[in-house]
Amino acid sequence: MSAEPEPAPAAGPRADAEPAHPIPAEPVTGADVDPSAAAPADAADAADAADESAEPAEPATTNEPEPETAGTDGPADSDESAEAEADPEAQAEPGPVPPVATASAPERPETSRGKRARRWQITAAAAAVAAAVTAGVLVSAGGHGRSDADGTTHVAADGLPHTAVDASPGSCGLGWGGSGQAKPRPGTQVFDLHNSAASATEVDLIDPRTGKIYGEVEGLAPTTSRPMLVDLGSGTYAFKCLQEDTDAVTGPTVKVPGKAAQGPATLPVNQHQLIPPTLSYQRWIGSRMTELARDTGVLKNDIDRGDLTAARRDWLTGHLVYERMGAAYDTFGDADGVINGTVALDPDAVHDPDFTGFHRIEYGLWHGRSAAQLRAPAAGLDKAVRDLRATWSTRRMDPASMGLRAHEIIENAEQFELTGRTDYGSGTNLATARANIDGTREILAELDSLLAPRDPGLSRLDASLDRATADLDAQDHDGTWTPLDRLTQARRERINADFGDLLERLAPVAAILDVRRTA
Amino acid sequence: MTTDTHEPQGAGDMRRRGFLRGAALGVGAVGAVAGGAAALTGATASAAAPGATGSPRVAFHGPHQAGIAQSVVRSTAFLSFDVTAADRRELTELMHTVTERARFLTAGGTPAALGITDSPSDSGTLGPQVPGDGLMVTVGVGASLFDDRFGLKDSKPLRLTGMPAFDDDDLQPAWCHGDLSLQLSAPNPDTVLHTLRDIARHTRGGMQVRWRMDGFTSPPRPSGTPRNHLGFKDGTANPDVSDPAVARQLLWVDGGGEPAWTTGGSYQVVRLIRMLVEFWDRVSITEQERMFGRARDTGAPLDGVHEFDTPRFAQDPTGDVIPLDSHIRMANPRTAQTADSRILRRGYNYDRGMDSNGNLDMGLIFVCYQQDLERQFTAVQKRLAGEPLVDYISPFGGGYFFALPGVKDRSDWLGSGLLA
Repeated sequence: MSAEPEPAPAAGPRADAEPAHPIPAEPVTGADVDPSAAAPADAADAADAADESAEPAEPATTNEPEPETAGTDGPADSDESAEAEADPEAQAEPGPVPPVATASAPERPETSRGKRARRWQITAAAAAVAAAVTAGVLVSAGGHGRSDADGTTHVAADGLPHTAVDASPGSCGLGWGGSGQAKPRPGTQVFDLHNSAASATEVDLIDPRTGKIYGEVEGLAPTTSRPMLVDLGSGTYAFKCLQEDTDAVTGPTVKVPGKAAQGPATLPVNQHQLIPPTLSYQRWIGSRMTELARDTGVLKNDIDRGDLTAARRDWLTGHLVYERMGAAYDTFGDADGVINGTVALDPDAVHDPDFTGFHRIEYGLWHGRSAAQLRAPAAGLDKAVRDLRATWSTRRMDPASMGLRAHEIIENAEQFELTGRTDYGSGTNLATARANIDGTREILAELDSLLAPRDPGLSRLDASLDRATADLDAQDHDGTWTPLDRLTQARRERINADFGDLLERLAPVAAILDVRRTA
Repeated sequence: MTTDTHEPQGAGDMRRRGFLRGAALGVGAVGAVAGGAAALTGATASAAAPGATGSPRVAFHGPHQAGIAQSVVRSTAFLSFDVTAADRRELTELMHTVTERARFLTAGGTPAALGITDSPSDSGTLGPQVPGDGLMVTVGVGASLFDDRFGLKDSKPLRLTGMPAFDDDDLQPAWCHGDLSLQLSAPNPDTVLHTLRDIARHTRGGMQVRWRMDGFTSPPRPSGTPRNHLGFKDGTANPDVSDPAVARQLLWVDGGGEPAWTTGGSYQVVRLIRMLVEFWDRVSITEQERMFGRARDTGAPLDGVHEFDTPRFAQDPTGDVIPLDSHIRMANPRTAQTADSRILRRGYNYDRGMDSNGNLDMGLIFVCYQQDLERQFTAVQKRLAGEPLVDYISPFGGGYFFALPGVKDRSDWLGSGLLA
């Protein structure tokens, strides 16, 4: 057992950089190929491939889809992404490591906290766009969810202007802005995107000058149409069509006239960009594990020599170290349930032999159990921690989960700590919530270089973290924390407000860091 | 105003957000969309405006808030909040946010498109278009808002206090008082809950729910004023505040030594009154009717035939027909001296499951409005002390609030006169 866990068995960050590719929706092949090598089909091919109704009879030459201009995926990517993508090895190796380890342990009476295995494909944008699907019968489309691509914009039953746009690689973005096509206009509106190609595609509406994405539809099936609800100001826009197994194609640039302010948009993040912060975070977790193993060893010794006063103190120290590691639960797999699991609310559940770890010991320490009765649980916890530490170097965190973890740590704190659900007698839920804030700050720090240019709400997020921290710290009386049920109503409301506010500000972090294909 | 989404927020700004989550405003149904529609296709505004449920929108702007003078509607949620905003600036921001959300949700329209910058701006529970649906949002301020926190001590409405415990009350502190009151009313419960979810989402940092009671109004059974859980029509004798003279006399605050900002507002009393319906159901119909002074089936006074017949107390001085201690006689003796103590009742029934002893937990969210708390509600309440009905009801919560004046126009906001 090495003193310091190595980040990976193979030397060098590159091997580390190989993530378990979570879900194969994003075609790995071709993603690193120079997109310019795969220029879109010419206009004639496009016309053949396209749905006849979606294709203008004679596409204006100024309106042809343009290939990507550079070897990267254009200005959309910031520098770090260009670096990452320039490295073909980053994706060349197969991923031997299984993806996110499940947190569920079926044989246990209850698993630890309910980490959601959320898939990164389910994006906020897709959900938002879906809202328009059921808007009603579209004026021009007879309920097919698309308008006629006859070069006009129609107002549908939802009261919004709808413009039909083709989203196949060969005619990406055709339908607006060209001669004889729908005139660009500012405001909230819907593009009814039609995929006339033979395989599914992802469609982004971008500003080609900045690379910012204004709207996104993922998984647009062949021969179907789906609406993209966007809010456009004056500026330049282009559709980017990312068909499966094909290089991205950016359609013609269209200028929306006037002086209207632009709607919400930000730069995408791809998997490569998330690898460095994930590795760095993984190393930080490794250091915490060393700290944790030391603390569980101390706790075990306290109990072995019968000093339960010291044990109650050292229990908290160790538990908070573990709670600071909040972002890594999924990676810990079943070990999390062994180390930090809880049991059902049934009063007999605490006697379940599968109830182990910190909360099992907590129950004993605060319910008058003898040291002898706690020796086995303490030894078990210490062993589980050391086993986890020993295997940590072989574990891989999924880069795609970094953004989710950034808000789910606090989601869990609100759900399980601020309700007291995880209290087994110590009354330290507020200390745990405070440790969860530390863990969130750590992961946000790792992600800062990606977030800073993308999330204009960061400073307010920091202020929200500071406020929550201060209000929790006020309940720390030299290591003795106010139990939840001893808080005054005003204090408890204030802390609830802090966490509610914090969660609302963390939601964009997860949305922005949703892994997106950029080439 | 036609372009909510293209107003002062800067280019590229995700326009979220102040201290609170801030307002990602949607596109008003009657604003940008209708205008754009007409420009594009010649469609009329009404054709472009969604109206799935067919409930007419209630105007948000005006000298008074909605939900006071209007008739009760089918569904409501009444909430009391404690303000967690740290200072006056944050409180101001909170009131701006509540105003913006209420304005959008009342008008209806398309929720803001946030692209990839955030989770969806709307819960979607009303579908992709927010229908408006006759929503009414009514905001009040409690006496505790005027303590030291926000520098409002000198602005308190003259007669605003904490709600006292009356003789027959059994008040539970967790169900009493609050810095702010918020009543959401609409013809459909999904509209009420959508509104609550939206406003809560945008104000989590600034206020926290202290207590909440959802309510409903029954349809006329078979006609006339809706019935409460005791089986009696409730609200028959309300003053006709559609008569401006009556509203001026009884409902709206306007001068009278009150701070200038209160003009157009009204004192709001809410009382959460448990009804012991099992007990009540074991009482003879004669006794029930003599407690109220009305016939249960028709709602008519016991000396009349139809619901809206006027009881003639003067011709029954010893209470042989309508007992002297009956509810209608004590609450409103219909004398010249008591005419200005009348209140405007806007009660809703509530139903919240079962009690610990296996009884149905249901009752009345009693809400009333008046120009003067002392002259009206308190006077009525004192007259009612000891009425026979008190054995069958148990007031356990509620509070006194001052319903803010209306939001005049798009540049105005709730509490502007108080905080600006």
